[in-house]
Amino acid sequence: MTENGQLIYLYCVTDSELKVNQIECSENNLYSICHNGLYAVVGKVDQQEFGEEGLKRNMADMEWIKAKVSMHEKIIEQVMAGTDVIPFKFGTLFNTDASLKALLEQYGQEFKTILRKLAYKQEWGLKIYCNQQKLKANLGNDDSEILKIEDEIKSTSVGKSYFLKKKKDELIEKMLNEKINECGQESFELLEELSFDARINRLLPKEVTEREDDMVLNSAFLIDKDEVDDFKNMINTLKMRYEGKGFYIDCTGPWPPYNFCGLSSEKRHNE
Amino acid sequence: MNSVVAKSKEVTLLEILDRVLDKGVVISGDMVISVADVDLIYLGLKVLLSSVETVEKLRGSPFTSPVQEAR
Repeated sequence: MTENGQLIYLYCVTDSELKVNQIECSENNLYSICHNGLYAVVGKVDQQEFGEEGLKRNMADMEWIKAKVSMHEKIIEQVMAGTDVIPFKFGTLFNTDASLKALLEQYGQEFKTILRKLAYKQEWGLKIYCNQQKLKANLGNDDSEILKIEDEIKSTSVGKSYFLKKKKDELIEKMLNEKINECGQESFELLEELSFDARINRLLPKEVTEREDDMVLNSAFLIDKDEVDDFKNMINTLKMRYEGKGFYIDCTGPWPPYNFCGLSSEKRHNE
Repeated sequence: MNSVVAKSKEVTLLEILDRVLDKGVVISGDMVISVADVDLIYLGLKVLLSSVETVEKLRGSPFTSPVQEAR
């Protein structure tokens, strides 16, 4: 079906017909492939660019990745504006329309089940960061145990104060971890209560986030559209509770439900 | 309340990569990019992010013209 040198790139699957020609897309011509009441939103991409050889080269090129990943997201968001979608991972490619139809045939029932689950819901993301210096500075001031050790340090011999200082550091470290866990856990649990489903994802290191503070929670929530206001209010409550104490609450959305469309045969993926 | 929403209008590339490369339905198409080395991409991203600011995103306004998206 494709002309020479082209591949079919799958963005998302939905169950309502849509006008793909109204979707803004910078380079590839989008179209939809319909099968058994499901619509796959796809675009033709260049074999040179997305074929095995080309990909190897391009995946080392951040400018290329940035452009393609942003386009992937932008296209799905535009589809999402009109209907519920199952977003696919970056770079799901097919050689022919027929092989994509075969996929819709094979997973059709499961896709429909997932779409029913996703109906009238939105994904929101919450990342919490902690500035440990700031949190530490807040800790010592009002903890009686720490104040007591500090007093002892002042009025003791050099040798003994060394051990007291060590003890104080350990105590602070322990309290720090407790505060971080408390903030992460409380935030997640309060938001989870308002959600249809929730996920905790792995933390991203500083080299990736390029932030001074540490990521202490990376989570995603699937929320009924009617609950979104309550969810945002809760985010505000958490901001008031924790920001200013060394935490930064970063909430984003609505996102395509990337975190909530795992196939039952792909459980591993949702881990 | 709006402060929460406003925040969501501007999303970093990191947020997009965290989802698009790492999540979403994984299925065996005829060919699927293996993004097993996502961490490597993230590290490459470090270089990129220092030169490129954030990707302006159009969010939460389904019926506004997509053209509004900042380029």
